[in-house]
Amino acid sequence: MSQAIATRAEAGNEARSSFDELYRQSRDDVYAYVAGLLRDASAAEEVTAIAFERAYRKRDRFDARRGSPRAWLFGIARNAALDELRQRRRQAALTADPTDPAAPSATDGVERSERRLLLTAALERLEARERELVALRFFAGLSNAEIARVLGISESNAGTKLHRVVTKLREACHGAA
Amino acid sequence: MEPRREDTDLATELRALRPKPRPGFAAELDARAAAGFPREGGDDRSPLRRAAEKLSRAPRWRVPALAGAVAVAAIAVVTAVVAISEDDAFDRGAQQLAAQPQGQAAPGAGRLRGAFAPLGREVERAAVESAASANSKGAAPAYDGAGPSLRSSSGPNAFLTSQRDVERSAQLVLATEPSEVRAAAARVFETVHRFDGIVLRSSISAGDDAEASAVFDLLIPSGRLGDALAGFSEIAAVRSRRESSGDVTGRTTGLEERLRDSRARIESLLTELAAAGAEAERSAVERQLRFERARLAALRSSLQGLERRVNLSRVSVRIQSGAETGSEGAWGVSEAVDDAGRILAIAAGVTLIGLAVLAPLALLAALAWLGARAWARRRRESALG
Repeated sequence: MSQAIATRAEAGNEARSSFDELYRQSRDDVYAYVAGLLRDASAAEEVTAIAFERAYRKRDRFDARRGSPRAWLFGIARNAALDELRQRRRQAALTADPTDPAAPSATDGVERSERRLLLTAALERLEARERELVALRFFAGLSNAEIARVLGISESNAGTKLHRVVTKLREACHGAA
Repeated sequence: MEPRREDTDLATELRALRPKPRPGFAAELDARAAAGFPREGGDDRSPLRRAAEKLSRAPRWRVPALAGAVAVAAIAVVTAVVAISEDDAFDRGAQQLAAQPQGQAAPGAGRLRGAFAPLGREVERAAVESAASANSKGAAPAYDGAGPSLRSSSGPNAFLTSQRDVERSAQLVLATEPSEVRAAAARVFETVHRFDGIVLRSSISAGDDAEASAVFDLLIPSGRLGDALAGFSEIAAVRSRRESSGDVTGRTTGLEERLRDSRARIESLLTELAAAGAEAERSAVERQLRFERARLAALRSSLQGLERRVNLSRVSVRIQSGAETGSEGAWGVSEAVDDAGRILAIAAGVTLIGLAVLAPLALLAALAWLGARAWARRRRESALG
């Protein structure tokens, strides 16, 4: 009996430790993805906190056979973000990018600032689903396999969609230039 | 494939646009993570919701195990309830039987318990009928020999049997010492005559050896069956007693209707015969008349036979002697095995019924769950539309 309790406690500690590691690795990535999707820094903070809280409460139910821990975590974050979007029924303007990409810094040249402005404008024009792909790939750093897992599509489909979005962005930037 | 330089540049530019959390928010979230994400404002969830969340956090193997345990417990409870109710039904029946005169049936109660436990309703009905019969004691005999006696039964339980034609039979096994078999057989004859019954067949093998026995096939007026069985029970210890009944009202009514139709048909043919002029016509009507009269006779005979079976119940009385005589009423290993078998059969039946009820419900629940999931997913996806 005591051995079973000890085993359970050990398993619990292990799960907690794994979750801590996942949290450290993914905190900024989850925020970046959610902020990229919601385009509202305040809402992104709220949703990120909710996502981690939900993931923490469900950590015992994670099944490694069904994907990586990051894919699982982003699936939870996505659901929380979509719930938020649905609840507010809005497509908020980008209001809280803490590092304004258009703001010239000491190291940035004028040309790079202009390119960022063009890219930001192109991102604005993307559909929500396309913007989500960009957020998952370039803001959160997920692999195609992980993106496929989060969106519930095949890996090749995820790669194809991503390629189309990148092409669209490139054309938008070149067209504007 | 080597990525194009401009794609690499674009990726770099996109990564540079990555939103970063405020340091304050990051620190706050780190603190909450370190504390295990405590719920803000305390835990105001309902106990039901807390239990559901606890269950949802349980390891996957534990949920089916818990469901299985609940199902087994439910089956056990239902089985126990069924077994207890059957037992109560028997006890009520046994009390009615014990209330009969002289209490000779009491020693056999243990055996009866084993024999009647799964047939509680029949015992109850037999007891009620016995009571109805006992209530009619002292009043005019219920059996008048003219028609189904149960139609003329009286007393507080008459409503149970009034206007119904019930065919009944009983088997009684009595136990006595070998030397007393002859005397017991004589008392059987006396009892039969006392209740205006008929001895169809009797066989007596008397003596002092262990094989001494007597067998009787009797017809007892149905209205006095209860009293007669009580009388037989007084003769010796009751080893077993079985009663069965079958409602033949439908058959009786059907025969009566066909009899009426046949009479009407004969009346009609007689009228036709009186009006018939030609010889050929007369002989044709007479032929039909002969046929219809034969049919009427057959129907009348069937109805009379049926009424006789309703009016007179067939009773088989066997008097035994030998080694088992002194052990009647004992509840031994064989009775325990019988009871265990019955309980297992009831449990299996309850399980089967439970599965028959639960399987469609589980299927519906699974479909509802899948539907709800699909609907929630669609709703979420619509937010991106």
